[in-house]
Amino acid sequence: MKTKALRRNLTGGVAVLISVVVFLVPFAFIFLTAAKSAQEASALDVSLPTEWFLWQNLVEVMQTRDYMLVRAFVNSTVLTVVSVTLMVVMAAMVGYVLQRRASRWNPLVNFLVLAGLIVPPAVVPTIWVLQTIGLFKTMPGMIFIEATFGLSFCILLFRAFVSTIPKELDEAAIIDGAGPVRLFFQVVLPLLRPVMVTVVVVQAVNVFNDFTGPLYFLPGSDNATVQLTLYNFQSQTLNQWNLLFMSIFLITIPPLVMYIFFNRQIVAGMTSGAVKG
Amino acid sequence: MSMRQGARKGSVVLGTAALVAAMAACSSGGGGDGDQIEITFLTQSDTDNVAAAEALIEAFEAENTDVSVTLETQPGGTEGDNLMKTKLATGEMPDVFHYNSGSLLQALNPDQNLVDLSDQEWADTLIEDMANVVSTDNGLYGVPWGSTQAGAVMYNKPIYEELGLEVPTDWAGFMANNEAILAAGTAVPIIQTYGDTWTSQLFVLGDFANVTAQDPDWAAEYTAHNRFYADDPALQGFENQQAAYEAGFFNEDFASALFDDGLRMLATGEGAHYPMLTGAGANISLNYPDNVEDVGVFALPAQDAADTRLTVWLPNAMYIPNTTEGDQLEAAQRFLAFTQSEEGCRVQTEILTPSGPFTTDACELPEDAAPTLTDVQAYFEAGTTFPALEFLSPIKGPNLEQITVEVGSGIRPAADGAALYDEDVEKQAQQLGLEGW
Repeated sequence: MKTKALRRNLTGGVAVLISVVVFLVPFAFIFLTAAKSAQEASALDVSLPTEWFLWQNLVEVMQTRDYMLVRAFVNSTVLTVVSVTLMVVMAAMVGYVLQRRASRWNPLVNFLVLAGLIVPPAVVPTIWVLQTIGLFKTMPGMIFIEATFGLSFCILLFRAFVSTIPKELDEAAIIDGAGPVRLFFQVVLPLLRPVMVTVVVVQAVNVFNDFTGPLYFLPGSDNATVQLTLYNFQSQTLNQWNLLFMSIFLITIPPLVMYIFFNRQIVAGMTSGAVKG
Repeated sequence: MSMRQGARKGSVVLGTAALVAAMAACSSGGGGDGDQIEITFLTQSDTDNVAAAEALIEAFEAENTDVSVTLETQPGGTEGDNLMKTKLATGEMPDVFHYNSGSLLQALNPDQNLVDLSDQEWADTLIEDMANVVSTDNGLYGVPWGSTQAGAVMYNKPIYEELGLEVPTDWAGFMANNEAILAAGTAVPIIQTYGDTWTSQLFVLGDFANVTAQDPDWAAEYTAHNRFYADDPALQGFENQQAAYEAGFFNEDFASALFDDGLRMLATGEGAHYPMLTGAGANISLNYPDNVEDVGVFALPAQDAADTRLTVWLPNAMYIPNTTEGDQLEAAQRFLAFTQSEEGCRVQTEILTPSGPFTTDACELPEDAAPTLTDVQAYFEAGTTFPALEFLSPIKGPNLEQITVEVGSGIRPAADGAALYDEDVEKQAQQLGLEGW
């Protein structure tokens, strides 16, 4: 009995140790490098800084290019929140209809959803389209692009999840006199909460971390997103590692906080819709 | 029921359309007031470039009060190359932009996309090598921004003094020095940093001036597919790298060390030689300000001292895309001319750390320049410099850095590596549609 408990504790301890090494050491490295002077940081080793420059580096990173990082955080937040909201609302509606109502359009819609996953986004034609409708170099244009790129994946998740909700619930609501809008928003949508959390977290991290999207479709210093600001501190021959890592440190915090708070829901949502297709 | 379904679908479509319209509406606006001409200047987003660009804009606006310049930045490297082409293809290029000269400029198809500047006043002040790398047969497209840099051996001067060594002029002398340093045991003879793969190419690319000294037409003949890296004299660069590896002159961690490690070793005297671009001097003066005087430069030696030349990289330049028109074009041209004025030169010397002499008569190096600069200048004054291959031929294979890592790590013999590189460039030459491939 005692040996069994001991063994269990031992395995647990090893697991904790491994996760510390895999997850916390890189983070500690980022933090320590962010607190060093330029000279010390260029050595790129894991050591305590001889002198702490945390605050100076923070201020310097913030002030770079006229507080670009602050603007970038605002832009990234707007981009992430709006495009993820759009994705969730659209994908939930499409997923619901696609699962509940069989029609001869379904194969076509399914094909388009899959095409959205398979066809790679081409840069120049996309820009042409945006230019024609006057959305190029604008935040709404970027929001639509992010929403479009993420939509297919979200629809698949929602459709799989809707199949786990008993049809009887819909029927009961209709008998009670609910119209289609009320049926969807008041009866079905609340039941989709677990998968919604998954979609929100996965897509929020995706959009927040997207580098090439904003790089090509949202040029201009006022439009910068956080990932683009990293390039302020690196080039082929001259890297300011301390400022670069400070910038990385600041940018890592929002997704990290999200993961810490929503960890349980993410896993639950991922698996709950996974069995039935 | 079917009516209601239709209505439902309709409302979704309408809702989406309304959303699109609302978002498009809030994005419009902008524009400027009538008197001020507004132009945009695009540069690469690393600190040095941005600081120089900001200083230049400030100085320019002080003298030209009717123009206001907005700075835009984008990453450099491969990502930046794609972005440049995308912007030109979609007509979104800012009014003035900063980019590489030489083969990368040629890849932008300047005749079709850029404004010819050969009628500008400063056009005659460029040295010939520089004018060549910003021109095509049909026009001159760029104004140089910054100084030259050399691809050469950067060496630690205190080690040379301590061991009583002389700067070598031929390969045998270089190897003898390495031998002496190895025997003394205090420092690594040659620093190599294959963790940053691009640093591995210097043995080959930095040897090019020596190749030209032996065969003046090499670059032109190479473009015409009549010369090959697998043959002498160009093969020598690969062979030198292999010889240096086999003699055991490299630092132990050469396979994983990074560019920054290499500079630390060079500046602090852990290593004696580092074949590198002298632009690295900026890094040394930032991270090791006390050691700036300790680092010197000499040309990568040829087998025969008479053939030893310094390989020179020419500076980037600023260009105007032909989507810039009217008042903006006139202001943009004034902006370019300003870079060659006294104030423009001041910004180039004070903010962009020079790594070699300038390429126009308009600017001069400061008197208290670091030894890396004065060493390079000496070669210029002696007339023993030559531009690197990438400025003379549009051909540069994408895999050279991987191949030189293999040669420098003893994985692949020099002759093999050179032959493989000849194959590598073939695809690129065909893509460019060159004759003879």
